[in-house]
Amino acid sequence: MQQILPTLTRRDFLAKSAVGAGLAVGSPSILKAKDSSQEIRVGFIGCGKQHEVLFNAMVNLPGIRYVAACDIMRERLKGTVGRVRSRFGYMPNHYSDAGEMLEKEAKNMDAVFISTPDFWHAPHTVMALEAGCHVYCEKMMSDTIEGARTMVAAMDRTGKLCQIGHQRRSNPRYKYALNELIQKNKILGPIININGQWNRALASSQDIVYGKPDNLPNAATLSKYGFDAGAENKLNEEELRHRFLNWRFYTSLSGGPISDLGAHQIDIFNWFLGVQPKSVMASGGRSYFKEREHFDNVMCVFDYDTPEGNARAFYQVLTTTSAGGGYYESFMGTQGTLEISEREAYTNIYKESGAENSALWEKLVARGYLKKDAVGKAAGGSDAIAAYESAPPDKYALPGGFSKPPHQPHIENFLASIRDEAKLTCDARHALESEAPIYWVNPAAKSRETIHFTEEHLHV
Amino acid sequence: MAQQDSSPFSDIGLTLGMLLLRIWLSIRAIQTGLEKFAGSAAGTKSVTIDGAPNDYGLTEATSSKVYAISNYQGVPGPLYEKFSNEPLIPSWSLDIYNVVLGPSLLLLGFTLLLGICTRASLFAMGLLYTSLTFGLILIKQDAGVAWLGIHIIMIVIALVLAKYNRLVITNKF
Repeated sequence: MQQILPTLTRRDFLAKSAVGAGLAVGSPSILKAKDSSQEIRVGFIGCGKQHEVLFNAMVNLPGIRYVAACDIMRERLKGTVGRVRSRFGYMPNHYSDAGEMLEKEAKNMDAVFISTPDFWHAPHTVMALEAGCHVYCEKMMSDTIEGARTMVAAMDRTGKLCQIGHQRRSNPRYKYALNELIQKNKILGPIININGQWNRALASSQDIVYGKPDNLPNAATLSKYGFDAGAENKLNEEELRHRFLNWRFYTSLSGGPISDLGAHQIDIFNWFLGVQPKSVMASGGRSYFKEREHFDNVMCVFDYDTPEGNARAFYQVLTTTSAGGGYYESFMGTQGTLEISEREAYTNIYKESGAENSALWEKLVARGYLKKDAVGKAAGGSDAIAAYESAPPDKYALPGGFSKPPHQPHIENFLASIRDEAKLTCDARHALESEAPIYWVNPAAKSRETIHFTEEHLHV
Repeated sequence: MAQQDSSPFSDIGLTLGMLLLRIWLSIRAIQTGLEKFAGSAAGTKSVTIDGAPNDYGLTEATSSKVYAISNYQGVPGPLYEKFSNEPLIPSWSLDIYNVVLGPSLLLLGFTLLLGICTRASLFAMGLLYTSLTFGLILIKQDAGVAWLGIHIIMIVIALVLAKYNRLVITNKF
């Protein structure tokens, strides 16, 4: 029997989850899609920019029916409805309240895609799971580790699928690099250092403004949906609308740049190493955007004990410069380095000049596992002091890429898992195992002290 | 006194020469016209590892040449841009020329190949190449002008040899 869901505000949710209460399990899963011939009926909670990214990544996939969409901003909602209608010739039902949408539509939906602000991820995910829907939720799982834990608990409790949007986990290039090059053929040797970054120019880091402010939700709506969280004083409509558009800058609404951008890449550190870090030290500051609550630039170092020995990973998220090669994760072993990025253009593989496993590299090239791009060439010049320099590494490349939108394989994996044809590549439990250390970067930067992780810090 | 050869094969060399000129000039025009409908289709193919398609879905880009009406461009883009800056070429005439150039080359190539109004076809083809020469003079493409000049010489020779034209549908005009 379908359980009627109440319209739930975030405050209600947090109050209820704090005492261990949840929403009752409801919808009849017997009706849900189970094989590839059956259409998967999906709904959207959140119709902003990230929703558009997801929609564009799934719009060419067969076997999906778009049942419902929800957003508190009418114009965004109209955009989603219009996109579905122009592409498929029918209109999804539309709602301004997620609780109402789930109450009315859950029995007709197999899955819900959640791309709301971070502080709503946990409430919306738990609500949707409890309503009997599988969930694809954008990363970061939540603005708090407690919220993320409620998502894992809800997934376990309901038995529904909960995929977290760390889309690199389904990316063929990442999977290939990890399985074939690092784990199976071990071309890098022991990985001792990792370096990752997301450097974003000032021009891309400015406050978001909206050309037609009258189309934004009003103060009452924004307060109802928690955009005043953490404010010391009552906020006026302009302040609330700034929070609505720029929730990433507020500590009560998001984890800031380290979770917004860093989450994707630190997740890759932990996924590739197969372990959680032992500690983190960090430094951050409001160095340019002094009025923002979050640090605008953060650098951190994680320490790991891997089966191959001690390793450390440096990560920086800079919102005041694009210099330094964009965004990538670099795994530096004793024999070679894999510099991988969601952008194929930023992906490079280097073999150390004195690599002991040179014969293996050449064998892999011959078999098609690697492409050789260029022989290392010394920069030369009169300022070069040979005794100081290592011979330059040879440059290699992955044998191919993929031509789909970056999020498409992850969504395909989610849909295939609903049909029992695959296993989720990043369910909420595995996502939190990887995300948990990220929640401690900002506290480490604030305290200027190394945090040595215990079970209390990292448990799921 | 030497007797003049009046057998049907007495002009065979000139007849074959004319035929060769017709074939060359028509193929030149037809293929040039067809190429104006050429474009490329991008695709992907699975990367092969150890002689078999990989299991990860890694692909590499492929590109193949395709012909389609939607690809049509009479005057190639870079040339079009240069011509559009020439004061002696009004934009409306450039647009018309852009539309008719490809079909004209195809039409004249086929009429010449099939032997339909050979003289008229050759003359029209000569005028078409002269119009192209005019444009190339304006943008100082001397090599192209010389190349078209060779075409004009071949057309003139074909017109001179027109009385030896055989294997035609109609020899009028």
